[in-house]
Amino acid sequence: MESVSNLFSTGTLSQILVGLSRTTILFIVSSGMSLILGVLRIPNVAHGSLYMIGAFAAWSVIQLLGGGLFAFLAAMIVAPLIVAAVGFVLERGFFSYLYEREHLMLLLLTFSFALILGDLVKIVWGPEYRSVTVPAFFQGSAEIFGLPLPWYNLFLLVVGPCIAAFLWLVINKTDLGKMARAAAVDGEMVGAVGINVGWIFAFTFVLGSFLAGLGGALIAPMVNISLGMDHSLIMETFLIVIIGGLGNMWGALLGSLIFGLTQSLGILVWPQFGIAFPYLAVVAVLVVRPRGLLSSTW
Amino acid sequence: MRRFVPFLAVAVTLFCMAGQSVAGDTIKVGFVDTYTGPATTFTNDVLDGFKMAAEKINAKGGVLGKKITWVTRDDKFKPDIGLTMAKELILKENVDLLVGTINSATALAVSDLAKKEKIPFFVTFSKSDKITGEKGHRYVFGMNENTEMAGRATAKALSKKKYVKYWIAGDDYEYGHAIANGVFNHLKTLNPKVQLLGQSWWKVGESDFTPYITQILAAKPDFVIVATGGGGMVNFQKAAQSTGFNRKVPFYQHTAIELSTLMPQGKNAPEGVYGTANYLFYYPNTKENKAFVEEFRKAYNRYPKSGALYGYMTAQFIAESFRKAGKIDREKFIDAMEGMKLASPVGGMEMRSCDHQVTLPMFFGVTKKSAQHDFLIAGEVVSVPGKEYMPSCAETTKGRAK
Repeated sequence: MESVSNLFSTGTLSQILVGLSRTTILFIVSSGMSLILGVLRIPNVAHGSLYMIGAFAAWSVIQLLGGGLFAFLAAMIVAPLIVAAVGFVLERGFFSYLYEREHLMLLLLTFSFALILGDLVKIVWGPEYRSVTVPAFFQGSAEIFGLPLPWYNLFLLVVGPCIAAFLWLVINKTDLGKMARAAAVDGEMVGAVGINVGWIFAFTFVLGSFLAGLGGALIAPMVNISLGMDHSLIMETFLIVIIGGLGNMWGALLGSLIFGLTQSLGILVWPQFGIAFPYLAVVAVLVVRPRGLLSSTW
Repeated sequence: MRRFVPFLAVAVTLFCMAGQSVAGDTIKVGFVDTYTGPATTFTNDVLDGFKMAAEKINAKGGVLGKKITWVTRDDKFKPDIGLTMAKELILKENVDLLVGTINSATALAVSDLAKKEKIPFFVTFSKSDKITGEKGHRYVFGMNENTEMAGRATAKALSKKKYVKYWIAGDDYEYGHAIANGVFNHLKTLNPKVQLLGQSWWKVGESDFTPYITQILAAKPDFVIVATGGGGMVNFQKAAQSTGFNRKVPFYQHTAIELSTLMPQGKNAPEGVYGTANYLFYYPNTKENKAFVEEFRKAYNRYPKSGALYGYMTAQFIAESFRKAGKIDREKFIDAMEGMKLASPVGGMEMRSCDHQVTLPMFFGVTKKSAQHDFLIAGEVVSVPGKEYMPSCAETTKGRAK
């Protein structure tokens, strides 16, 4: 270890904030996956592809509207809606026919969609790298004890809790949310009382897809939008959902926090092996609580 | 006997088809490279550069009365597929020569096959120094720079600067480590005063560099060697721009000044980033380079990148060597290729006979805004001649003997 004492330096605060902004993206994407996993019981491998489509769609919207803050904000709404529409087609057109089959079939189908969507993105947007600039409003960075914290990361810190609050409202305060929760526990019973479970499933899948698209749109200004960005994310998302507790939204939040913070603080302690820390945390969690931190709906 | 007739017919047809391609009046070049996925940003330029040169040669009557033709195979960035495709090109397509690939592992596998089949293989984008270094042989040719060469050229340019405390950061895979070690180890020999303050390594495909950047800033190095490749190039530059990293600490990335890195970012790429590249369409500002750029833009409606130069020169070297050999004979072709000197858009190039590595200049520069373009370009460009940064023949021979 280079120095554990780094954890008590002035850099710690900015590192925590940077870690939390990373958490926001992870939470948005993994909460969508967790939702689908909890209600529909689909381990959606194509979730990363939806995230990638979100990023590419955001690029297209911004290009179309000619850039600027308005174009950026419009992209943050339109891109996830496009992805939600893709999700709707996937669920109604394909997944809805397979719910009676075993999970392995569904898993294979999502895997094939991960490949198909990846190639579709290549056909639609081409293999070149795409890049979205941070709107002028969010450019530059704030200084925290002399270390920079980009305004865009601060923006993400505001977005994260908003999304969490929104999801809480949808799931706990709306009829649809309540029905979805009920369907997660016992779909047959929900069907028996006269509720159309199929449409609840569709709604959940669309909401989950919307979240994946939003994650992709939000990360677009920070990265190189390229083919393959789905692969790097899907692994982390699965791990987060597993350590949080399958299908548990708050577990996804907890898992994202663990992932984001162990990474940014790990870098402070031992930059050469910073990548290892989130995975070590995953191992530690699974040793102590093999079924995840919070109760699983499975 | 009845059942035997159709079989015979098929066999005869196949035999005739095979015969045709052997006796055809062409020089057939087989490309095995990655033509799907993000790598196409680089590989399409190689192919287009090659086509442009070959079409011009063919229009003038070809080589020894034969036209240069080409077939392509997609290796999907996978060594096993690449090797299968290369075998197919040799056995079914009867290619005279092989060209490719961007994946170093594939290049090494195909190189091994080329050695066994005695087919010359031109490597046109792989950066592993093993290809013409310790794993080099009579049938493989390196047409671009490798990590060792990039490292030495950069070390040479950096040794003239006054930085002492260095930090290394990069993508945690072979290319990243090879570039970083290449630069720092040679820098240490040229300027023993430099010291390594620390290192950060992130996974390939990392999307958020901010936590790494704030940590490096807290450590206060004088200069940072950033060893990213592919998509990581732009990702890191974006993070540098939004954190103001480039204004606080100078840093270097191999290919930071290349079009493939700077163009997608438009005017928002970070300024003051040091980088190296084998080719810049605006430097050197010579008649030859301008003519090359104009021709390429006319044909493909875009600026040529490094790959275009590699592909273009590969075709030139192939044509000239066959001309010099006087007939289509692979062994004579290789003898003719060794030591061949040709003019290129960036100045003279030489195919070294000791290791079959082409000698070409490396440009070291720093990113800056440009009035003529809506993307950043390189300023303060220094040209490091090939002879000054390539490992000597003695070193390569020693490496191969191991």
